[in-house]
Amino acid sequence: MYEDQGDTTDDIIVCEDLHKWFGSFHVLRGITTSVRRGEKVVILGPSGSGKSTFIRTINRLEEHQRGTIVVDGVELSNDVRNVDTIRREVGMVFQQFNLFPHLTVMQNITLAPQKVRKWPKARAEEIANELLERVGIPEQAGKFPGQLSGGQQQRVAIARALAMQPKIMLFDEPTSALDPEMINEVLDVMRELAHSGMTMLIVSHEIGFAREVADRIMMFDEGLVIEEGTAEEFFTNPKHERAQEFLSKILA
Amino acid sequence: MSSPDTTLQKPVLPPPVIEQGALGWAHANLFSNRFNTTLTVISLAILGIVLWSSLRWLAFESDWTVIATLSGRLIMGPYNTESACPGQDCFWRPQAALLLVTMLLGMGWGIAGGGLTKRYAIGVVAVLAAFSLLPYGLDEMGMDVRLLLLANIPALALGWFLARHTGLGTARWLAILAVGTFVVTLVLLRGVEGIPGMQPVSVNHWGGLMLNLLLAVAGITLSFPLGVGLALGRRSRLPVVKLLCVLFIEIFRGVPLITLLFMSQTLVPLAFPKDFPVNSLMRAGIVITLFSAAYMAENIRGGLQALHRGQTEAAQSLGLKTWQSTMFITLPQAIRNVIPAIVGQFIALFKDTTLVFIIGMQDILTYSRAFIQGNPEFIASAQELFIFLALVFWIFTYSMSHISRRIEEHLGVGRR
Repeated sequence: MYEDQGDTTDDIIVCEDLHKWFGSFHVLRGITTSVRRGEKVVILGPSGSGKSTFIRTINRLEEHQRGTIVVDGVELSNDVRNVDTIRREVGMVFQQFNLFPHLTVMQNITLAPQKVRKWPKARAEEIANELLERVGIPEQAGKFPGQLSGGQQQRVAIARALAMQPKIMLFDEPTSALDPEMINEVLDVMRELAHSGMTMLIVSHEIGFAREVADRIMMFDEGLVIEEGTAEEFFTNPKHERAQEFLSKILA
Repeated sequence: MSSPDTTLQKPVLPPPVIEQGALGWAHANLFSNRFNTTLTVISLAILGIVLWSSLRWLAFESDWTVIATLSGRLIMGPYNTESACPGQDCFWRPQAALLLVTMLLGMGWGIAGGGLTKRYAIGVVAVLAAFSLLPYGLDEMGMDVRLLLLANIPALALGWFLARHTGLGTARWLAILAVGTFVVTLVLLRGVEGIPGMQPVSVNHWGGLMLNLLLAVAGITLSFPLGVGLALGRRSRLPVVKLLCVLFIEIFRGVPLITLLFMSQTLVPLAFPKDFPVNSLMRAGIVITLFSAAYMAENIRGGLQALHRGQTEAAQSLGLKTWQSTMFITLPQAIRNVIPAIVGQFIALFKDTTLVFIIGMQDILTYSRAFIQGNPEFIASAQELFIFLALVFWIFTYSMSHISRRIEEHLGVGRR
C-alpha cells in the first residue's frame, strides 16, 4: 500500500545542521541526522529540549532558520510548491488530536483527499472506511469528534493522516493527552502501522512502546541530539550522563 | 480506599429533592422578611395600576382605524401616490414583488419539507391574510389591499407546488431564484421607460416597510461577505491589505451611521463616474452595507481568534492550502461561534434602516410620522400607530433571533 515511488535513495529524510530560534531562544542548535525508508525513530528528551519543534520543522509547521531539510528528494525551502509537495507526503498526529469539531469523523478523514488529492468523494469514503476498520472504529463514521472518547479521537486523527497515503508519519506525543486506560488502544494502532512498513518519527514518553518498535532512539537535550542508538543500546547502556539521568527519572 | 464489601453496602441514592412549590418559592424569595414583604406589596401595587390602565385603554379607548386607513401606505409609503406614479395605478408592482417573495417562502417550505421553514411560511402568509379581514369598511381599507394580502395564500401554494412537482425543488434553485426575485423586485419597482404600466417611479417615492426590507435584505446579504473579507484581510500577512482593512474598519466603526448618511450625499457620488446616476436609495444601501460590514468584520475576527492554533496546523499538515484551510476549517467554525453577534448585527442593521429619513426617504416610521403630522384628525391615533409599528419591528427582529437560535441548535453549537 505504501510502496515508494519518488527518490530511490535509502534516506527519506536528511537534515543537515538544523537551527531554529524562538525569539532569542536557540531551540534547535544544529541537528544533523537522516532517516531511512521504513525506519521507526522514537525521540525522547525532557520538555523544552526541542524534540517537538524538530519534528514540526519536517512538515514546516515550524520554519527552520539555518541548515537544510530534504524530504523524499525535495528540499524544504521558502518555495511554497515544495512545502505543499512535502506536506502531501508527510502525515502528522498531534498531542491534542486537532480533529475538526464541525465535521463528522467521515468528513474529517475525506476532506484532504478530496481537496488536495482531488479524489472523487466515493473513492475517498471507500478508503476512509477501510482506515476506520483498520483503527478499529468503523461504527463511528457518522459521529462528531466531540462525541468520541480521547482514544477514539486520536485513532480518527491517525486515520485522517493516513488517508492522504503519506510516506512518512510524524507523531507529536500522541498519547500524552489520553487517560491511562486509552493509551494502549492508540499504541496498538501505531504498532500495527509500524509493522506495515511506514516510516515513523515519534515523540513519546512511552518507554515500553519505544523499546518494542523503535529501530533507533534519539535523545534530545537543550536543542541537541545527545545520544542516538538502537533501543537495546540506549536502554541498557546509555552513554551520556544526561541520558542516564533522564532514564533513571522516567523508569523510576 | 474502601473494601468491595463496604462499597456494595452503600446504596445508590437518587438526587435530593428540592422542596419548593410556587408558595414555597414565593415565601423564600418575596416574603422572607418584613423589608422584602413591603417591597413585594409596593411592586405588585405599581404593576397592578400599570396593567389596569393599559388594559382599560386597550379594551375601551384605543381606536385602530388608523392602521386600516394607512394599510397599503405602511407597506409601500408614497409609492402609489399621484406624484409618484402620475395617471396610473402602480399598486400592482410592489404587489407582484410581494407575491414573488411568498412564492419563494412556499418553495422553501417545499424543499425543507417541514419544521421551521414550514411554520414561518405559513405564519407569514396567515398574518398577511388575517390583515385582509380587518373589520373596517372598504373606505378605510380598500378591496385592492385586501385582495393583495389574500393573494399570498395561492402564491405560497404555488411555490410549494413548484418545489415538490418540478425540477426547481433544490436549495441551489432556491438561491438562484431568491437573487432573481431581488433583481425582478428592483426592476418592477423602478419601472422601465416605454413599457405600458411600467412607467419609472423615482426611488424618492419608494417607502414604507418595503423600503426598510429592501435596505435590510441588501445590507445583510452584502455586508456579510464583505465583513468576512475584511476580517480575513485584517489578519492578512500582507501589510498593505492589512492596513487598508484596519483603516476601513476603524473609520466606519468610528463614525455614527447618521453622519455617514449625511456624508453619503456628497461622498458616495465621488466614488462613481461623473455621469453615473447615484440615487438616494443606492447611497443609503451602500452606506448601511459598509457600516454594517465594519462591525461584521470585527465579530468574525473575534470568532477566528477564538480558534485553537491546532486547527490550522492540522489543516496545513494535511496539505490544505491556506485558502482551503480558511474556507473549510477556520471560517465555518469562526462563523458558528459568533452567530449570536452576527444576528445582533443584522437586527441592528434592520432597525437602523429607519435612519434613512436623514436623506429624505420615507421608510415606514418616517412615513407614519409625516402622516400623523399632515392629518390632524389622526393625531389622537398616534399611540395606536406607533404601538403597531413597534410590534411590526419586534416581529421581524424576534423572528431573526428565533431563527438564528434554531440554526445554532441545528449546527450543534455549544455541544460539539
